[in-house]
Amino acid sequence: MNYAMVLDYQNCINCKACEVACKEQNGVQLGADKQRIWVSTYENSIFGNPFVAFHPSQCNHCVDAPCVSVCPTGASYFAEGGLVMANKDKCILCKGCMEACPYDARFVDDKYVAVDKCTFCFDTRISKGETTTACQATCPTKVRLFGDLDDEKGELVQLLKKRKFFVLKESEGTVPKLFYLFPEKDTSFAENSIGKGTTIHTWESYKPVIDKAVAMRRKS
Amino acid sequence: MNVEVSRRKFLQGSVALTVIGGSSVGFTSLMADEEKKKGTSSQEIPTLCEMCVNKCAAIAKVENGIVTKLDPNPRFPKSKNMLCPRGVAGIHAMYDPDRLKYPMVRVGKRGEGKFKRVTWDEAYEAILNGTDKFPGLAKILDEEKDNRSCIGYCAGEGMAEHTYKTFMADKFGSSNFVNHASICLQTTVSGYALTIGSYGQADLENANYVIMAGANRAEAILTPDTMDLFKRTRGRGATLICVDPRYTNTAMQADEWLAINVGTDLAFVLALTYVVMTEGLYNIDFVENMMNGFDVYRLHILENKYTPEWAEKITGISADKIRKTARDFMAAAPRAIYYQGRRTAWSSHDFQLRRAQAIFSALGGGIDVKGGIVFGKGVPLGKHEVNAPMYANAESRIDSKEAKLVGSTGTWIGFRNMIAEKRTPYPMRGMFVYKQNPMLSVPNTAKTKKMFENMDLVVTIDTMPSDTVMMADVVLPECSYLEREDPVKSFGGVQPAIALRQKVIDPLYESKPVIDILRGLTQKISKPLFEITKKYDEDVQDELKERKEAEVYKEDGFDLVDAFEKSQEEINEHMVVSKHGKEAYELLKKHGVYYPNMEKYFKQLSANEYEYYPEDKKAYTVSKWRKGAVIDIDTCVNEKEIAALQKKLNTSSGRVECVLGYMTKKGVDAMPTWHDTYLVPIPEGKFKFVSGRHAQFTQNSTQNNIMLLDQVKENHLWINAKDAEKKGIRFGDLVEVESKIGKVQIKAYPTNKIIPGVVFFIHGFGAQSTGLTFGYRNGASDNAIIEDRIEPVFGSAAMHETIVDVRRVS
Repeated sequence: MNYAMVLDYQNCINCKACEVACKEQNGVQLGADKQRIWVSTYENSIFGNPFVAFHPSQCNHCVDAPCVSVCPTGASYFAEGGLVMANKDKCILCKGCMEACPYDARFVDDKYVAVDKCTFCFDTRISKGETTTACQATCPTKVRLFGDLDDEKGELVQLLKKRKFFVLKESEGTVPKLFYLFPEKDTSFAENSIGKGTTIHTWESYKPVIDKAVAMRRKS
Repeated sequence: MNVEVSRRKFLQGSVALTVIGGSSVGFTSLMADEEKKKGTSSQEIPTLCEMCVNKCAAIAKVENGIVTKLDPNPRFPKSKNMLCPRGVAGIHAMYDPDRLKYPMVRVGKRGEGKFKRVTWDEAYEAILNGTDKFPGLAKILDEEKDNRSCIGYCAGEGMAEHTYKTFMADKFGSSNFVNHASICLQTTVSGYALTIGSYGQADLENANYVIMAGANRAEAILTPDTMDLFKRTRGRGATLICVDPRYTNTAMQADEWLAINVGTDLAFVLALTYVVMTEGLYNIDFVENMMNGFDVYRLHILENKYTPEWAEKITGISADKIRKTARDFMAAAPRAIYYQGRRTAWSSHDFQLRRAQAIFSALGGGIDVKGGIVFGKGVPLGKHEVNAPMYANAESRIDSKEAKLVGSTGTWIGFRNMIAEKRTPYPMRGMFVYKQNPMLSVPNTAKTKKMFENMDLVVTIDTMPSDTVMMADVVLPECSYLEREDPVKSFGGVQPAIALRQKVIDPLYESKPVIDILRGLTQKISKPLFEITKKYDEDVQDELKERKEAEVYKEDGFDLVDAFEKSQEEINEHMVVSKHGKEAYELLKKHGVYYPNMEKYFKQLSANEYEYYPEDKKAYTVSKWRKGAVIDIDTCVNEKEIAALQKKLNTSSGRVECVLGYMTKKGVDAMPTWHDTYLVPIPEGKFKFVSGRHAQFTQNSTQNNIMLLDQVKENHLWINAKDAEKKGIRFGDLVEVESKIGKVQIKAYPTNKIIPGVVFFIHGFGAQSTGLTFGYRNGASDNAIIEDRIEPVFGSAAMHETIVDVRRVS
């Protein structure tokens, strides 16, 4: 079991249904800076014309997660399916994980006085038999697909075999598991919404990266 | 990847809300351990959302009597397995601490916001007999000699609106009704209905080319349009042309953004039509078989020389783009749609704009066919009969002369202004307000306030202490949509279905569903009001000479209670069972949705997708054949030919009406015509003000919702970056926006996403009600500055014609 998420970010209309569903489902603290998931807005001007791109995002549940290695108390840990979880009881709020995370995916939950983050709704939905996360289920344009990288026949791997994709900040070496589908039908959007130097992957090119990182983690 | 992470806090303000605490779920997840000990009580109840007008299907998760989550119900073909941010945040509408919790009567001055808590019976008594502060219905109707229309009424859109109208119109007998139509899509509905027979539905799941002008489906979510369209634009099946002075999220998702000058859409459509006429791009067979008055319209377009070059000067859209758009549209037709649009009339000639759009769409043949504007079909429901009395002294509505064709839903501005300016044909003494907030939703708030001040009795039925509730004499707390069953509804369309809003939990506090409120009210007022009718109504007096009083009272419908004797649940069961049988009703209760063969047709295709009807059972084409039509479907080889078959549309000629001759008698152009006066110039240094919607707020009804405010803290004034620079305005600066009728203060958002000379902010903020902890004076209200300009045909509010000054507040 290796949980992951595919995001067809070209579909995103930034309605924030996902953000609200996440807060409602998981009891996330209110406040603009208290977000387990978010939609980044990138704005630019191209030859005087506005350009806007939305990047829905959340914790990447990295295979080689720096937040886990940096945690002094074991509060950050790998759970079932490679999920990166934060145990609030063990958290001493040193915020090392927040510093270590390249994706700014963690924040301080003032209710618990501990770090909070995305769990892929494992505790609130997946472990109770649901097959979708709250953000996926509620989305009007169905940006997200949650699934298992180990399930070759599953919808998620099938989609990754069919479509090109990229991950965020690959050079950090964290082996992230949010897969952004390459907008192949809109090259201009692709060009302007994906950072220069980003590798566009296929399942064949990325699968070995995951396998290697998973093997490394098992060893340690 | 080039993403500025801090942008995610963009426009949300850097100050976190002062309220620390989770959502209700946070609270209940704390209870999880308790539940495990006690044994958990968990239910999932399908219902329908009421956070906006869409009525999407939701599943409410209830744990130990508390609603903890609202999820999408995948079974409903209209909402297709999604729940938008407002829908998900419905929990916070129900658990809003500021909710109206018990009946109240006014003890201070009108509008002062001082109320006294009373029992339901005391509230009904105050409505009937008044208090020392205001007179009741009995006194008013006695003074007005049983003219029932002296009490007006209004309602916001909703599933129980009909129940309320049953009381006010059918039983109480007032003809003065105003609802959202004249501040909403009246001109569009009428424009399409009179031209192609119906407003229809844009089949965005199958259209290959869509012009979306002014409409903003990426932000103003409409189901199923939003879900159907944005998975298919930009190289994925449908070409989307967004025409808007703002670069909206719809523009961002479009293949092309055509920035248009405000109020010039008609010139754009006429020029598109000119290109099609001169280049002969229209569907010749369709024009021949299905259009009435085509030759006259063609000549009209050509003689007036509505060339792309002419339109370029007016609209700001280049002639080349206009030509290309017209050609591409017709090449994709009949799977090409000039999207109807919704919301409001923008300009005083809005009806002609919608007519021109409909005719342009029809030139490609995309009417009543897959990928065009479709009419769909319905699933029938049984009837609920009401015995309506006749009141001889009830006058006809006051505002019928405020526009050329005022319908049964009135003209809000006309109606309001007549009362505010004291020029009604008979005294308008009071008003019942249900689920509407005219103080914030009708242009020119000062005049709406004046209207209420000129009345003797104002009764509001609502869930929240809105600005309008503050103007009331008697406040009746309705429960939220999650606490009541509403009238069952049939949703017509390509994939029709019946859906049911079921009660999820019992009403909180002392609130009640509107049907229960009306039952209690009619029990109190029915007999005393009949006494007044007996006193003044000569017809009733004549009847009483020949028949027993009890008989006249009962049989002629004067017993107002009889319409509300049955519970909503009983009425719904009857309406479904009488048409579809017991089993259908059981399925509806279980799944929240029912349509014939649902169990056979409905299936899950993937994690995110469902199928509701097989393709060959979808109702794309529904019109009947015209009498004497020559139909030889087998010889039709392509969609253009199929589109041109001789069908009978729901218009007077059965065809698309290019010319409405009878309109000229009313002084309305028979054909869409541009007049130079339509171009309202923007004086140097000033701006045209436009308003709009976004995905996180519904009109002004969500302004106190803590979860939605968490997403969008307040509204901002969009101003072109260069305009802002000239005025020394930077992001976040407080600016004053002033029109002829009022001024507001709001923070600025300079951007290149709006054309110069135009400013914009989102509707739904700026409440003045002290009852709203979070909404009170948060942001600015557009209707405090929008002038009350009436669109002359239907009396709609022309909301985009206001000129404003903008200055930085030091």
